[in-house]
Amino acid sequence: MPQWFLRGLRRGVVTTHYPARPDASAATLPTPPAFQPEGLTAGLADRLVAVCPSWALTRSGDTLIFDAGACTACGRCRTEAPGAVVTSGEFELAAADRDHLVKRIPLLGGSASKGSASEGSADPATETTQGESA
Amino acid sequence: MTGAATPGRSVQETADELRRRVARQFGRSLHIRTLDTGSCAACEQEIRLLAAPHYDLHRLGFFFTPAPRHADLLMVTGPMIRAFDIAARKTYEAMPGPKLVVATGACALGGVYQPDAFTHGGIGETLPVDVWIPGCPPSPLALLQGLLVAVDRLAEKVRDLDFIQNGGRR
Amino acid sequence: MTTLPLMYGAAAAWALAALVALAGGVSRPGIRACCVLSGLGGAAALAGGVSSLLSGNSRVVTAGGSVVVGTLQLQPTSLAGVFTALLGLVAVATAAFVPRYHQPGRVTGLYLAVYNLALLASLAVLAAGNVVTFLVAWETMALLCYLLILRHMRRPRRDEVAAGAFWFLALSETGFVLIVAAFVILAAKTHTMQLDLIAARAHLVTGGWRDTAFLLALTGFGFKAGLVPLHVWLPEAHPVAPADGSAFLSGLVVKLGVYGIALFAFRLLPAGPAWRGILTMAAGAVTAAIGILYALNERDIKRFLAFSTIENIGIIVTAFGAAMTFLAYGQRLLWAFLLLAGLYHVANHGSYKTLLFLEAGVVEHATGTRDMDRLGGLAHRMPRASVITFAGTLGIAALPPFNGFVSEWLIFQGLFQGFRTGSHLVAILIVLAAATLGLTGGLAIYAFVRGYGIPFLGMPRTRQAAEASEARQPVAGPALLAVVCAALAVGAPVVLTVLARAMRTVTGVELRPVLLPGNLTVIPAHTNFSGFSPTYRAVFLLAVLALAIPSYRAGRPRAGSMVAPVWDGGMVAFKPRMQYSAMTFSAPTRVTFDALYRPSVSVRRASDDPAGRSGPVHYESQAAPVFERYLYRPVIRAFEWLADVVRPIQSGDVNLYLFYVFAAVLVAYLIAAL
Repeated sequence: MPQWFLRGLRRGVVTTHYPARPDASAATLPTPPAFQPEGLTAGLADRLVAVCPSWALTRSGDTLIFDAGACTACGRCRTEAPGAVVTSGEFELAAADRDHLVKRIPLLGGSASKGSASEGSADPATETTQGESA
Repeated sequence: MTGAATPGRSVQETADELRRRVARQFGRSLHIRTLDTGSCAACEQEIRLLAAPHYDLHRLGFFFTPAPRHADLLMVTGPMIRAFDIAARKTYEAMPGPKLVVATGACALGGVYQPDAFTHGGIGETLPVDVWIPGCPPSPLALLQGLLVAVDRLAEKVRDLDFIQNGGRR
Repeated sequence: MTTLPLMYGAAAAWALAALVALAGGVSRPGIRACCVLSGLGGAAALAGGVSSLLSGNSRVVTAGGSVVVGTLQLQPTSLAGVFTALLGLVAVATAAFVPRYHQPGRVTGLYLAVYNLALLASLAVLAAGNVVTFLVAWETMALLCYLLILRHMRRPRRDEVAAGAFWFLALSETGFVLIVAAFVILAAKTHTMQLDLIAARAHLVTGGWRDTAFLLALTGFGFKAGLVPLHVWLPEAHPVAPADGSAFLSGLVVKLGVYGIALFAFRLLPAGPAWRGILTMAAGAVTAAIGILYALNERDIKRFLAFSTIENIGIIVTAFGAAMTFLAYGQRLLWAFLLLAGLYHVANHGSYKTLLFLEAGVVEHATGTRDMDRLGGLAHRMPRASVITFAGTLGIAALPPFNGFVSEWLIFQGLFQGFRTGSHLVAILIVLAAATLGLTGGLAIYAFVRGYGIPFLGMPRTRQAAEASEARQPVAGPALLAVVCAALAVGAPVVLTVLARAMRTVTGVELRPVLLPGNLTVIPAHTNFSGFSPTYRAVFLLAVLALAIPSYRAGRPRAGSMVAPVWDGGMVAFKPRMQYSAMTFSAPTRVTFDALYRPSVSVRRASDDPAGRSGPVHYESQAAPVFERYLYRPVIRAFEWLADVVRPIQSGDVNLYLFYVFAAVLVAYLIAAL
């Protein structure tokens, strides 16, 4: 009898039952980051913007704009700021609208700048993008 | 896919309703045509795995077809290099309606590459996209979820996610 | 008996047409007058041929003679009836074709005179009643055809034209020597020159003489018919002759070779051992296979059609050979049946091959080239020509329900009944011949998909093809032939009835009851084998269409439809160079049969730059001319050696010549004394 037939009988069905039941391998997937606003200063946000290779992060005033669509889950933002950025564990990210993937994360410090090392002003019209902050 | 607004409903609501109705039509059987507009082929590897026994998209009623004339859904990867514009439009126009377009992977969604002389940096301005699947590459599970969202068999999840971790759950 | 008057009428019309051509060929009305006469002669010959099929052999008529050539006797026969009818048809079609094809001028006048005289000579060959008439007419016809081929001697391609015509003449003369030898044996043994007396006294030609005469006739007429390896003149002569000349050569002249073989095989020496038939059948099968294989290697449309002619001649000769084999085993029904099938194929092939050659001429005039790889898309530019050529192509590819299918079906059904001979070996050989014909049938479809598709379909490959125009091109002649092809297909029962009547005269076998029981079904000579009905098939096809079309209409989705361009893979622009070329389309045969073609390939590039920037690469592949190299060249060299050996006789020394005279007189005295 062919080996594959016997192997198949031993191992049984290997097909996943997703989406009816969760798939065990989902836990090993690289996923986009989740941010902890209490650790996100404006200066840290600018460093994260500079380190993202995929233009997924921009800073607009006291909001960090995270484009989950552009994110490649490379993990550099997490390496840069392990306290403020963790993996989200979310891989079911399909969106019917492109804007659904653009998330706004409030930065620490609100609108009042306390003279910290942030380069941007409190003016919401100012945006810090990767190109400028490098 | 657009529709004129009816009294009492916004254009967006009508468009959503129309899309949902059309998507339901594909619930049982959907033919997918993949289109590589200049990707690194990692997305294609993951798409290829969909046909393998572990993920097996055939059990969900999805099939791959090379002919746009037979396709219902166009799965596009890559940042749409400008040299590919004509071929991409021709492929889309060769598909008979109703049809769906799914942008797959970070390149197609606008990440990784910025627009320049050689690439559009995303497929949004060339083709009308119905579902966007992020990832680099998106895993086969993410692709399955995206396809099922496209045919309205699963609800979209990411709209309600805020990617904010309060209190360090992980 | 109206046959003889019709033939006299045809002869007179053609003689008159020749005179008119000589006198008036320099003007358009003169050419038109000549063609009208030629066409009338053709119509008379066509009627005469059909009449001789129906009314049997005419009486022998003495048409004068002289001391030099002996008496000239004429006797139109049933066997020659199909060929005579075909001659008439070809004459009518070319007469309709010539006015728009040839430019008025002195050379045209000469050419048309020669052509009409060639028609007259062919008629004389077919109506010949004795050996002398036959040989004189045959040789006249051959020389006139040689002159026909030389029509374009003034063009830049003089050397090609001269070479092609010379091949024709050389092989024709070689064949003539053998034919004369065959007739001499028969005449000497039966003590008469009259053909019907020879036929009556065939039993006087015994054993070795009979077989030798048959072999000489098979080879001699095989030169004219184009049996392999005696065929080499066909692809050389056809491309250089004018279109109507090529049509005449392929449509009729090679059939005269077939007529000669049929004359010896079925009229003069019908009885004989089985190996004669098997040899003929084998020669025919090999000819058919080799013909179509070489056809697939050709880019020149006329060379391609010439090889296709060789293939069809092979099919006809296979049928004749199998018929002779069946007679040797006592199967008289199958003997007559296969002769009938072969003659039907003669008529069919004559019609569609003439059509195809005339259309090749139209294409050559419209585009200036015969090379398939420089054409393309002609169906859009030349719609009438493409429709007519398509009719001819469907016929020659033997697709149902067209005429080629009917005659090939009959031949195959005859061959499949080889088991009736009772000898296992012979049955196997006959089946092998059938298998070879099956191979050639498949290759023929392949070849004609290529032969029609490359020039007519797709996109034009050159500017000449893109600018082709069929304004002022002849269309009446080929259109008439297309109608005749359709008539031969649709009217198959009628044709079979007429041919069966002729077979009763030639073979003495009553075929009609075992061919057309009930008028609607055709069966191959025995009721327990197979059958098909052209009529029922036509009804069935119409019923299928009648059901299919409304069902489609009713079931079509009501939703609005979108008109979109053809899906071409998303290419920016589809260029003509992306299409198949004629040679790449037939590349699989070259790969499979490379032992036959033995191609010699040469590749030249400007430099050895591996990145491909060295400039154009020149690739040339040529099939080895196996017959010229391995048969003709050694024979020619042998003759040249012999001539060298004998040359010292002509030393130029008068004394030596006087010695020869003295020696000859001495030898004569000695012989007389002894």
